[in-house]
Amino acid sequence: MRGVKLHAMLLALTLMTIGAGATFYQIYVLNIPVSESVTDPVWVIDARVQFRASGNVPVKVQMFVPPGSERYLVLNESFISQNYGVNVNRVGPNRQVTWSVRRAQGDQTLYYRKMLSRRFGGEQTAVETGPQFRARPPLEGVERAAAEALLAPIRQHSADVDTFISETIQRVNNLQDENVGLLLANDTSIDKRARVIETLLAVAHIPVEQVHTLRLMPTPNQTPELWLRSFNGTHWTYFNPATGDQGLPDDRIVWWIGATPVSSIEGGSRPNVTFSVTSSEVSAIQLAQDSQIVRDSAMLSFSLYDMPVATQEVFSVMIMIPLGVLLILLLRNLVGFLTLGTFTPVLVALAFRETEVLWGIVLFTVITTMGLSLRSYLEHLQLQLLSRLSVVLTFVVILMALISLFGHKLGWERGLSVALFPMVILTMVIERLSILWEERGATNAFKAAIGTLVAATLAHLLMTWPPLVYFCFTFPGVLLVMAGIMLLMGHYRGYRLTELLRFRALAGKH
Amino acid sequence: MFFKTWRALRQRGVMGINQRNGDYVLRYNRRHLYPLVDDKLLTKERAMSAGMRVPDLYAVVDSEHDISRLPKKLADRTDFVIKPAQGAGGDGILVITDRFEGLYRTTSGRLLTEDDIGHHLSGILSGIYSLGGHRDRALVEYRVTPDKVFSAISFEGVPDIRIIVLCGYPVMAMLRLPTRQSQGKANLHQGAIGVGVDLATGITLNGTWHNRVIQRHPDTANPVAGVQLPDWHEFMRLAASCHELTGLGYLGVDLVLDKDRGPMILELNARPGLSIQVANDAGLAKRCARVERHIDQLNATGRSESVEERLQYCQQKFATGELSMASVPVSS
Repeated sequence: MRGVKLHAMLLALTLMTIGAGATFYQIYVLNIPVSESVTDPVWVIDARVQFRASGNVPVKVQMFVPPGSERYLVLNESFISQNYGVNVNRVGPNRQVTWSVRRAQGDQTLYYRKMLSRRFGGEQTAVETGPQFRARPPLEGVERAAAEALLAPIRQHSADVDTFISETIQRVNNLQDENVGLLLANDTSIDKRARVIETLLAVAHIPVEQVHTLRLMPTPNQTPELWLRSFNGTHWTYFNPATGDQGLPDDRIVWWIGATPVSSIEGGSRPNVTFSVTSSEVSAIQLAQDSQIVRDSAMLSFSLYDMPVATQEVFSVMIMIPLGVLLILLLRNLVGFLTLGTFTPVLVALAFRETEVLWGIVLFTVITTMGLSLRSYLEHLQLQLLSRLSVVLTFVVILMALISLFGHKLGWERGLSVALFPMVILTMVIERLSILWEERGATNAFKAAIGTLVAATLAHLLMTWPPLVYFCFTFPGVLLVMAGIMLLMGHYRGYRLTELLRFRALAGKH
Repeated sequence: MFFKTWRALRQRGVMGINQRNGDYVLRYNRRHLYPLVDDKLLTKERAMSAGMRVPDLYAVVDSEHDISRLPKKLADRTDFVIKPAQGAGGDGILVITDRFEGLYRTTSGRLLTEDDIGHHLSGILSGIYSLGGHRDRALVEYRVTPDKVFSAISFEGVPDIRIIVLCGYPVMAMLRLPTRQSQGKANLHQGAIGVGVDLATGITLNGTWHNRVIQRHPDTANPVAGVQLPDWHEFMRLAASCHELTGLGYLGVDLVLDKDRGPMILELNARPGLSIQVANDAGLAKRCARVERHIDQLNATGRSESVEERLQYCQQKFATGELSMASVPVSS
C-alpha cells in the first residue's frame, strides 16, 4: 500500500512538474501573454495620395513611406491602387514607393496603409552613421552679421554639440530677437524656422537633417511633424525645432528624412497627401497569431492555435472538461457534496452552455421535477424499469416541446434553446435520480439533485470563465498539473467538510 | 473551529468516507467478490453450506412457473417473508404474518390473495426493486420474530445488529432500532436509530439518530442504553466467521435475534456506513489501525488466529468497560 502511494505521488509530481515546466517555458521563454486581456494597441496609418491626372501622359507618383522601424513591429503594409504598378525602393535613408500607370484620367486616389504594433518588436539594430562635419554655407552681408551675432552667445552657453543645437533652437524660437526676425524674413512657419536653424548650425559646421514624423494618436487628418536630428558620432539625437526638446517621443514614427516633400508627381497636378491614424486594441495572442514574423519564430507551433479555427473552438470547450471534473472531484471529496456521479454535473454544466445558466437552472428544475413526479405516479402502475424509463423519456421530450412552443408563442426565444444535448442529459439525470430515489429515498435524491445543480452551476461558471479558458487553451500543460492533483486526491484520506458536521458529536467531548 | 473539529476527530480516530473508501473498502474488498454480498441468495447459500445460522429458505422463485407452484410449496407455512435477492434499502420485502381463509395477512393487517402475491413476485422478478433494474430472483424465507428484549426500545419491524468486521476481527457493533419514521425498517438513512454495543459484554450504549446522540427511543421514550443482548458471543462468532465465508476483508454483517432460534445472519454489506461511530462514541479508524497492527505482528511471526482467538482479542481491546456503565443513565 505504501509503495503504491509513493508511486502515485511520484507520478503526480512528475506530471505536475512537466505541466508547470511547460507552462513556465511558454510564459517566460516564449513570452506568451498570460491573459487574453493583455492587449496591444495596433496603429493603422493611412496615407492617401490624391491628384489630378493630366491624361494621355504616363503618370508616375512617388511618395516616401516609413523605413523599417526598430521600435515597432510592422504587422501589415499594403499599397492600394487600381491598375497602378507599385515599386518600392530605398533612397538614401528613406523608402519610397513609386506608383506608375501608362494612362489615367481625372481625379486619382492612391492609398498606402501600414499597421504597427509595439509588442514583439525587435531590439535596436545597428545605427546607420551620419555626417559630422558640414561646410560653411555662403552667407552674405546682413544675414551673415545676424548669424554671427546669434551664434556668439550660443557658443558661450553651450558645452557640446547637443547643447549647442538646443541653444540654437531656443534662440531661433525667440521671435522678438531682431537677428532672428531678419533671418526668418517675416516667415515664422516651422519649416522656415527649421531652415534657419539648419543654416545657423551649418555656419558652426554642424550638420542636421530634417525628420518628418507622424504621431501615433488617433487623428483623422494629421500633418507630419518636423523634427531635426544630428549624428554625434555614436547615435542620432532628435530635436524638436519648435521647443528645442531633445529625444524623439515613443509615439512618433519617422516617415521620411530630408527636406524634400513627401510626394512628387509626373503626369499629374495638385498632389495632396493626407495622413490619418487610427488605433484598435488587439489581444496580444491574436497579434502573436496574426504576425507572420512571430509565427515563424516557432513560438506558437505545436500549440492548439495551429489547428483550424473550428477545431480550436471545439477544443477550447473540451480542454475545460478536466477542470470541471476536477472541481466536482474536489467538491465531492473535500467538501462532501452529494452529486449524481462525477460526470453528470460536468455534462449538465456543458448543457448550460447551450441554455445559459439561469434558464438552464429553471429548465433543469422544472423538467426534473415533472419527470420525477411522473415517475412516482408510474410507480403505482408497477411497470418494469425499462418501460418506465422509456415513458419518462417520452414525456420529457413532450414537455420540452411544450416549453419551446409556449416560449415561441410568447416571443420568448430562450425557450427554443432546448437542444438535443441538454435533452439527453436531462433524461439521464431523471433516470439516475429515480434510481437513487429507489435506493436511498426521496430526501437523498433531493439532496443529490440540489448538489448536482449547484456543482453544475459552479462547474459551468468555471468552465466558461474566459480568462481561464484562454489560459488552459494557451497553456495545455495545465492539464498535466490537473491530472497530478487528481492523482493526489486519489490518496486523500482526510475528512470531508460535511463530515466535520456529521461527526461533530464525536468531536465535542474528550 | 474548523481545524479544532478536524484535529479532535483525527485524535479520536474517526473514519471519514474518503478513508473508508481508500484505506479499507478499496484495499480489502476485491470487486469480483461483491456479488456474494449483493445477492442475498448467494450469501444465504454460502452461509448455509458453512453451517452458519440464517433464516430458513423456504423457496426460491426464479421464473413465472415458480410463482404458480409456490402456494403448494408454502402449504404448511402460516408466516413467511418474500424478498428480492438484490433489493436495497428494504424495498420489495413482503412480510406475511398469518393466513385467513385462503388469504394472506401482512404486518399491517392487509389481506392479500394468492394473485396479489403472484403479482408482487413477478414484479420482483422483472427487476422493479433490484439495483439498476436487472432481472432478479425472489426468495421466500423464515419470518424472524424479534426477541422480547427489544420490545421496550423498538417500534414495529425487526431490530438488527450491525457488526463491522475487519479481516475477521469484529471492531464495532451497533443495534439498529426501527422507529415510526423509518416505518419499521432498520435503516439509519430512513430514520431508524443506531445504538452502540459494547463488544465485550453485548450491553447497549447510547444511541444516535440523524447523527445526534440520543438516550431514549423517540417512540417508546425508554432509555436505549444498558440493555444486555442475549447470546452476544454467538453474534460475535457469526460476524467474525463471515470473513472466511466471503473473502471480503472489510464487512458490515447484519444479524437478527430471533425469539426462538437466536442470532442469525441476515445480510452482508461491503460498504458499511460510518454512523456506527456516533452510536458508539468511538472512532473506527483507531480500532481498525489497531487490528491491522496486530495482524502485522502475527504475520511477522507467521501465525494466524482462530475465530475464538480473534474474538478474545477484540473483546479485550475494544471493551468499553466502566465507561459503558458510567454512560448508562439511571432509569427513571
